[in-house]
Amino acid sequence: MAGSVSTAVRDWGREVLAGWNRFWFAAADPATLGLIRILGGAMMLYTHAVWSIGLTDFVGSHGLLPAESVKLLQQDTWAFSYLWWIEGSPVLLWTAHIAALIVFAMLTVGLFTRVTSILALIITLSYVQRLPGALFGLDQVNTMLALYLAVGPSGDAFSLDRWLRGRRVGQTLPVRQSWMANLATRLIQVHMCIVYLFAGMAKLVGMAWWDGTALWMAFGNLEYQSLDMTWMAGFPLLINLMTHVTVAWELSYWALVWPRLSRPIVLALAVPLHMGIAICLGMITFGLAMLIGNLAFVPPWLVRAAVDRILAIFGRGRGGELAASGGEKLKKPSRPQVRSSGSTR
Amino acid sequence: MATAPANVESTPLPRPGVRAIVSLIVALHVLAVFVGPWAMPQTSELGANVGRAFQPYLDVLSLGNGYRFFAPEPGPSHLVRFEVTTRDGTLEEGFFPNRAEHWPRLLYHRYFMLSEFVNTLGSAPDTKLADTYARGYAQHLAEEFDGRTVKLYLRRHYVPRTEEVRQGRRLDDKVLYEERLIYTYERD
Repeated sequence: MAGSVSTAVRDWGREVLAGWNRFWFAAADPATLGLIRILGGAMMLYTHAVWSIGLTDFVGSHGLLPAESVKLLQQDTWAFSYLWWIEGSPVLLWTAHIAALIVFAMLTVGLFTRVTSILALIITLSYVQRLPGALFGLDQVNTMLALYLAVGPSGDAFSLDRWLRGRRVGQTLPVRQSWMANLATRLIQVHMCIVYLFAGMAKLVGMAWWDGTALWMAFGNLEYQSLDMTWMAGFPLLINLMTHVTVAWELSYWALVWPRLSRPIVLALAVPLHMGIAICLGMITFGLAMLIGNLAFVPPWLVRAAVDRILAIFGRGRGGELAASGGEKLKKPSRPQVRSSGSTR
Repeated sequence: MATAPANVESTPLPRPGVRAIVSLIVALHVLAVFVGPWAMPQTSELGANVGRAFQPYLDVLSLGNGYRFFAPEPGPSHLVRFEVTTRDGTLEEGFFPNRAEHWPRLLYHRYFMLSEFVNTLGSAPDTKLADTYARGYAQHLAEEFDGRTVKLYLRRHYVPRTEEVRQGRRLDDKVLYEERLIYTYERD
């Protein structure tokens, strides 16, 4: 009896370990990560390009957020920003800002990605740590994406790095599957689940999310409104439904996004939810950034198929690595596999 | 129809030792990502203690976010209205966020967050931080308009109920606004 229990426990332990290894360490095609790099990099570029308009209105001794305010808020914290060192000099500040924009542009196209992804993370964190008070959800998602793009080999697909390397060796490079690509994508997935879990749980405290009026309070808010949704006041049951679906979706995301059966539904619902925020509530950047995060759940073979299709529409056919898939169309894998060693060339 | 992969290379699985170290880092990181929102006020004593243990990591990577989008519920919005008396005695007035002035939308939203933030800080028992932030806004406006005195007002804009809107109330009806003085700045 005791022997069979210990065997069962040992088998269970082995299965857990195998599952852990499969989840985090299975080699994966970096296509999904590459696509997130392009879109996330472009979002970071745009976010920081917009800072250019009001850079000295926000930082510096005469800015809206002077050192006195922010340092009081951040006392006893480990927040770090290199902007503190240079904001006293407009020349230095603007030089560093333009350099930051160049870094984001290079990350987006995948040039020197190993270096630019790390620099992009430092820059994103520095702006976020310097400007508390002017931040919102977009900055949280940007920071998250920058972190995982720096962790994983985000330049291993759809990048100038790959294209240039291919040109140097005179052939199309093979698709480079790696466990680091998988790890980075998995981290985005898990992070997204935690984001939605807490977003949903926090809403349970608010009565408006229970009585079904919360979305009206958002749509009917003139300062948020970018599309006049006042007509919805005539459809209170629709508002109730949308409110309840929003909470249910956020609360269940972490569980329902993993099974293959429910994943497409969960991801499909993300589109109207976040595009609704984007179009109706004027937070286009935030809505798009959340959708970029959701892309982590789109399998690489589907990303490559979609990119190939888009390129075909634009008459490029299936070009080289920069074009999209490195000339190879990967089949949908039946199940991720962990190999103990060697390559699968 | 998908074809079989013909041009793929895979990096080998990391050695068990590397895998163990990476697994530990990943587990701690995922725990930190969870602790970030969990340890935000209002949390339990346990949550606060765990949050303190992870604080350096959360601060450096900016992971201490509540992710409380539109929570606990979308409430009224807040704007900052200002009156600047310039050195020659002229009165300059304005407010932020201001759609007419702050474009693109992302920039508008930055200003919107400034006004919302000073409202959030102002609802804390100790208003020192709110006052410091308000002084920062006022000093900036004094500089911009060459002002001698700056008065900041927090304007709260309530959202009418659906029944009220159906009966004809507009979203910008005057009865939906209330305003209070939050800071007066006198330039030396």
